[in-house]
Amino acid sequence: MRDFMAVARFGGRLYWRDKVALSTSVALSLGLGIGMPFLMAKLRPGDSGLLLDMHLGLLAMIMTLSALLQAAVNLSARRDQLILKRMRATGLNDREIIGGELANIAAQAVLLALVVTVVLYVAAGMPTPGNPLVLVAFVVAGAAVLSLLGAAWTVAISRAELAAAVTMPWFMLAGLGAGGFGPIIQLLPSWVGTVLNLLPTGGIVEGARFAYTGEGNVLLALLNLAVWTAIGLIVLRYRFRWEPRKS
Amino acid sequence: MIQVNGLTKSYGDFQAVKGISFEALPGEVFALLGRNGAGKTTTIEVLAGFQPADAGQARVLGLDPMKDRRQVRRRTGIMLQEAGFFPDLTVVQTVESWRAFTPAARPAHEALELAGLLDRSATKVRQLSGGEKRRLDLALALLGRPDVLFLDEPTTGMDPEARRNTWEVVRALAAEGTTILLTTHYLDEAQRLATRMAIMDRGEIVASGGMAETLATQAGRVSFELPEGISPQELPLPVTMAGAVATCRAEDPDLAAQRLLSWAAEKGLRLRGLEVRTASLEDLFLEGIGNA
Ligand SMILES: Nc1ncnc2c1ncn2[C@@H]1O[C@H](COP(=O)(O)OP(=O)(O)OP(=O)(O)O)[C@@H](O)[C@H]1O
Ligand SMILES: [Mg+2]
Repeated sequence: MRDFMAVARFGGRLYWRDKVALSTSVALSLGLGIGMPFLMAKLRPGDSGLLLDMHLGLLAMIMTLSALLQAAVNLSARRDQLILKRMRATGLNDREIIGGELANIAAQAVLLALVVTVVLYVAAGMPTPGNPLVLVAFVVAGAAVLSLLGAAWTVAISRAELAAAVTMPWFMLAGLGAGGFGPIIQLLPSWVGTVLNLLPTGGIVEGARFAYTGEGNVLLALLNLAVWTAIGLIVLRYRFRWEPRKS
Repeated sequence: MIQVNGLTKSYGDFQAVKGISFEALPGEVFALLGRNGAGKTTTIEVLAGFQPADAGQARVLGLDPMKDRRQVRRRTGIMLQEAGFFPDLTVVQTVESWRAFTPAARPAHEALELAGLLDRSATKVRQLSGGEKRRLDLALALLGRPDVLFLDEPTTGMDPEARRNTWEVVRALAAEGTTILLTTHYLDEAQRLATRMAIMDRGEIVASGGMAETLATQAGRVSFELPEGISPQELPLPVTMAGAVATCRAEDPDLAAQRLLSWAAEKGLRLRGLEVRTASLEDLFLEGIGNA
């Protein structure tokens, strides 16, 4: 536990000096997450249902950016720079290394999501959730699952330079499925929406929507996150590459 | 203590290490030698628990490096042949960060002092020279006061002074009882530091033994330019010719040189470019991999 926290703290220190993390995760998440709903609130004042839909769609997108993409970029870079290998040369075990890195990334993602949400309550008049604890629980669990999946996704990233490009589909699909680009999904066949709701961000949005409105199936949302957690863990366990050299 | 017995490791269907066995005792510097691709790094990585062995046994401090990796790692220091740093951290920040991962770590300044890097503490890692990075590697490997130290080409890229400094550190650690497994392409380094060695070639050990004993069984050489008008058959000792240079191999090269010189004096000849060399690890090395 002590070692796990040491890795997480170390990751945190590096995060805030990492210009790529600051410009994609932090700047883009805050910009999109606050900017878009804010514009919507200006264009259609008073339509709080629309504002919430927009926010939940963007929440899926910014959490994909700040957790899944950030974990994929960060871990594939550390793998390729042989930093993971060096970390393994210490007394740290594999779980502490990946777990610590992911704990930091998930914590930053939660922080960003909360900042965005609170700013929207205060500045755009978004309604507050009926059940704030459920909201926080889904944001935290969602950030953890998405970072885990980001780590697992590094198996699909042959070189760190490609990390952002290879991870982009997650972002686009998350936005499409959750309505972050607006209600485009209604123009597509209904099965597309059903499939996209199976994404981990589908579970997060479903849980968050329940926290706000009391509508939606929390159990299904939890099941979704549980299944993705299992997938992430299995991929990590059997496929994760610690160094660029393939064996 | 390191024990290796019939260790085999393949990558796909390429066998990188083919059933090697050796042992290194506490307080001993054991040199693993061999040309590029011989399997030295692979052996070290298996011993350090980075990869599982396919067959055979590896024991470090009596433990299985894969199964008891945590215990093994906590008592070993590793200088990997290749590993990365965070370029934006300074030298001392790097060491401090690594201390957080190392139980009972040395103070940062002590590790940096040992590695001869104290005066570069405030420099960012990206600005370090190749040899300085290698010293930082050494500082990190020594952080945990390890009982077993793996040094994979530790002095590559170091200047002569840094190499000497590193040798001093290695000797001092061995004197304190640390078991040290060293790979190097500098045979003089191995000859100076190691008490025992093994030469690997294509995954196999082709020669091994105590450094002093092994060298003692090796022939030395005397070489000189063959005087004009003399044929090799006229010389008092058998030689091999390479161009105009005659080389005579002898267990006692000094004695052979004396014989050749007195023969030349009798004939009124001069032996130009006379060189007497006792057996070196280099001869042994070239011979070992030549026979393989
Ligand atoms: N992950 C890997 N996948 C495939 N082949 C590998 C891998 N690692 C090593 N090899 C191969 O195994 C052989 C032994 O490699 P190793 O790194 O152990 O050599 P070495 O003795 O340390 O060489 P050098 O002196 O150049 O460092 C090489 O031919 C190398 O190409
Ligand atoms: Mg090597």
